[in-house]
Amino acid sequence: MYPRSLVTTVVALGVAAVAMSGVPAVGQAPRPGGVLNVTQREDSPQGFAIHETSTISTVWPAMPCLSNLVIFDPLKQQESAESVVGELAEKWAWQDGNRSLVLSLRKNVKWHDGQPFTSKDVKFTFDMVRGAPDAGKLRINPRKGWYENVEAIEAPDPHTVVFRLKRPQPSLLLMLASGYSPVYAAHVPPAQYRTTCVGTGPFKVKEWRKGEFIDYVKNPDYFIEGRPYLDGMRYVVIKERGTRVAALQAGQVDVSFPGDMSPTSGEQLKNAVPGIVVRPTHENVNNNIIMNMKKPPFDNAKVRLAVSHAIDRRALTTAVHQGGGVVGAAMAPKPHGVWGLPEKELLALPGYGTDPAEEKEKARRILRDLGFTPQNPLRVEMATRAIAIYVDMASFVINELKQVGIEATLKQVETAQWHAMATRGDYQIGANLTGIGPDDPDANFYENYVCGSPRNYSFYCSEQVEKMIEQQSAELDPAKRMRMVWDIQKRLEQDAARPMLNWRLDHFTTWPKVKNLVPHQSLYNWGRMQEVWLDR
Amino acid sequence: MAVRPIGAEIELTRPSAVTGRASLSTVVTRFARKKPLGALGGVLMVIMALTAVFADVLDTYDPIATDAAATLAAPGPDHWLGTDHLGRDIYSRIVHGARVSLIVGIASTLLGSVLGGVIGLLSGYTGGKVDLISQRLLDILQGLPLLVLALVMSASLGPSVQNVIIAISIPIIPRASRVIRASVLAIREMQFVEAARALGTAHLRIAFRHVLPNTVGPFIVLMTAQLGSAILVEAALSFLGLGVPEPYPSWGRMLSVSAAEYAQKAPHLVLFPGLAISLAVFGSNLFGDALRDTLDPRLRGA
Repeated sequence: MYPRSLVTTVVALGVAAVAMSGVPAVGQAPRPGGVLNVTQREDSPQGFAIHETSTISTVWPAMPCLSNLVIFDPLKQQESAESVVGELAEKWAWQDGNRSLVLSLRKNVKWHDGQPFTSKDVKFTFDMVRGAPDAGKLRINPRKGWYENVEAIEAPDPHTVVFRLKRPQPSLLLMLASGYSPVYAAHVPPAQYRTTCVGTGPFKVKEWRKGEFIDYVKNPDYFIEGRPYLDGMRYVVIKERGTRVAALQAGQVDVSFPGDMSPTSGEQLKNAVPGIVVRPTHENVNNNIIMNMKKPPFDNAKVRLAVSHAIDRRALTTAVHQGGGVVGAAMAPKPHGVWGLPEKELLALPGYGTDPAEEKEKARRILRDLGFTPQNPLRVEMATRAIAIYVDMASFVINELKQVGIEATLKQVETAQWHAMATRGDYQIGANLTGIGPDDPDANFYENYVCGSPRNYSFYCSEQVEKMIEQQSAELDPAKRMRMVWDIQKRLEQDAARPMLNWRLDHFTTWPKVKNLVPHQSLYNWGRMQEVWLDR
Repeated sequence: MAVRPIGAEIELTRPSAVTGRASLSTVVTRFARKKPLGALGGVLMVIMALTAVFADVLDTYDPIATDAAATLAAPGPDHWLGTDHLGRDIYSRIVHGARVSLIVGIASTLLGSVLGGVIGLLSGYTGGKVDLISQRLLDILQGLPLLVLALVMSASLGPSVQNVIIAISIPIIPRASRVIRASVLAIREMQFVEAARALGTAHLRIAFRHVLPNTVGPFIVLMTAQLGSAILVEAALSFLGLGVPEPYPSWGRMLSVSAAEYAQKAPHLVLFPGLAISLAVFGSNLFGDALRDTLDPRLRGA
C-alpha cells in the first residue's frame, strides 16, 4: 500500500505532465485574464517609434500599442497576400487599373488618449513616411523607399483613404501589413513616440522603466470586441543571452525573444522543462556582410568578391547557428520564403559553391592579384553590433577572412549607434543582420539595394539593377515576376552588393500555458498580441 | 621604528653578497622554506609568464580558428580541454588568453604604479598645499571601487587592449600614491636626506636620487599585490564585453555570453577559463603577500 501523499503526488505530476505537453487543446475556448511576461533582449532603442527603427528590439515591444491599416493574420504562420486581414481598415479594393488602393476605415476607433481615429491620421503617417512635402519629419526614415511609388494619399472623408500610385504595385498591401507600418496619431508629435505611445492597439503603456521593463495594460476601448484576452503584459529586459534562457527555464518569463533561440538552447530547454514548446521558425532575417563602397578597399568590386568567396556559408550555419539557418541569396530561400533562388542557380553564385576550399582559393587568387597575401594581409576593421548573435557571426567571419589574406579587427557598436553609423557609412566592413518586414521583393530591394536608401548600408548603386527592381515591382504576372526577382538576386551576388551568408531559423520557445501566439515566417509582423491568452 | 635607508641595507648585506651568484638560489631556497605558499604563488606566476611568452609554441590550434564539425566538443585527445560553441579550441585560447591577461595585468599595474608613485613621491616630499590638494583629489578617485572606475573608463574609451590597460591603471594610481607617499614621509626626515639638503642638493635630485630608491621595497610589494586585482578586473571587463574584443581570446570573455548559455551542455566552457583566472589571481596574491612579509621590515619575522 502506497502512502496517500505519494499517490497524490504521482497523480498531480501526471496531470501537470499532460498540461505541459504543449499540445493545443482542440476547441479550447480562450480564457481572458492574466499577465504575460515577455522577454526583451535590450531596452527598446527607439522606444515606440516604429517608423524610426530597423530592429526587432523596438518592433517587438512597441507593436501591442499600435495598429496597422491591414496586418498578416496573427493565427496563420505563413504570410502571403492571402493572409492579409483588416485592422484599422475594414475592407479595401484596387481600382484605376491597380493604380489606386482604396481603404475603408473602422468607425468609432479611439486613440489611447481618447481622441477619435480618422483618415487624417493615416494620411499624416504615410505622408510623413514617404517624405511628402509639408509632412511631418522623422529623425531617421528607414523605409521611405517602400513608398516611393505613392504619388498621393487622399482622405476624401474621415473613414476613407486612397493611396494613389504612379504605377501598379502589388507589394504595397504586403508592406502595409508589416509590423513596420503602424498608424501614428496626427495630433501627437512623431518624436513623442520615442518615449511614450499613443496608439489604437490592444494594450496601453502603463510604465516604461528604462533598462528594466515595459508594462502594458489592456486597452478597454480596443476596437475588436472581446480582445485582448490578457489583462496586461510585461516586457522584461534581460541583456545577457544565457540569463534570458535561464529566466525562461525558471518560468520568470513565458515567452522567448523572437530570433534569440538557437537549436542548442531549444534542446537544452526541452531537456530541462519537458513540457516547454519549442517551434523552429523562419525569421526573414539574414546574416550578411556590408562593405562600404564609398571608401577603399571595398569600392573595388574584386575585393568584395574575394570576401564573398572566402566565407563558407554552410560551416557558418553549422558552427554559429548549430544548424539553425538556411543558405540563400537576397530573398528568403524556399520552402520558408516564396521568392528564393532555385538551388542550382544559387550554387553557381560566387561564394555559394559546395567546395569551400575551392572558393577560398578563388578569394586568395583575387587578393594575390591585388598584392595581398596571408603574409602581407589586407588590414581592415570589422564593425558589428554589440549583441551576441552579431559578435558570434563576426568572430567566425574574421577567421574565414584571415585564411585568405584579410586581417580584420573587431569593433563592437552599441545598438543605439549601430544603424546610424551604418547609414552614415562610418565603417569599412560590417557583420550585419538584415530583417525584412514582409517576405516581399519590394520591401527588400527598395529598402536595401536602391541608390540613396538609408538602409542601403553598402551604398550599392546600379542604374541597371534599379531598372530591374522597378520592372519586377510593376509586374502583375506572378510567374514572370518570380523570374525577374531571381535575376536581380543573381546580379546582386555577382556584384557582391551585400553578400548573403544565410537566413536564420529561430527556435521560438513558450511555456505551454501561452496560447494563440503563432510565430510567422517573418518575425516583425506578429507582435500585436491581441489573440494571446493564458491557459492558467 | 625607523626605516633603514638603502645605503645602510647594502652595508649590512654586503658579507653575504661575497658568496656571489650562489646567493640567488640560496635566497630562493630560503624564501621557499620560509614562505612555502608564497613560493607556490611564485611558481604559478612563472608558469603563467612562460605560457604567455611561449603561447605560439604551446598552442595546438589557432586560437581564433573555428571548426564547424567540432562545436561544443568535450575534452579529449583532439581538443584537450574541449571546444567552444564555434568549435574553437579551449586549450589554445587559454594559452593565448594568458598572454592577454599578463600583458594587461603587468602593463596596467606598471602604468598605474609608476604614475601613482611619482605623484606620491612629489606629494610626500613637497608637503604643504601641494600634498593637501593632490591627496584630496586622490581621495575622491580612491572613493570609487577599482572595478566601478575601470568599468566607467572602459565604457567611455571603448573595448581594446590599450584602453583596458588605461582603464585599469587609473584606479591603481591613488593606491600607489598612498603607499609611496607614506614611505616618503618617513624617509624625508632621515639624516641622509638632511645631509643632502645641507650640502645644497636640489630638491628634485634629492627626491629622485635619494628618496625614491628607498621606496623600491613597498613599490615591488604594491606591484605584485595589484597584479592579481588587475588580472581579475581585466577578466571582469572582458566578461562584461568591455575588455579585449572578440575573437581574440581573453579568459573573462571566455566565461561570458556564449559560455553561460551553453554551460549546462558543455560545462568545460566555464570550468577551464574559470580555473585559469583563479590560479593566476591566487598565485599573484600568495606571492605578493609573501613578498610583502619578506620586504617590509615591520612584518619581518612576523
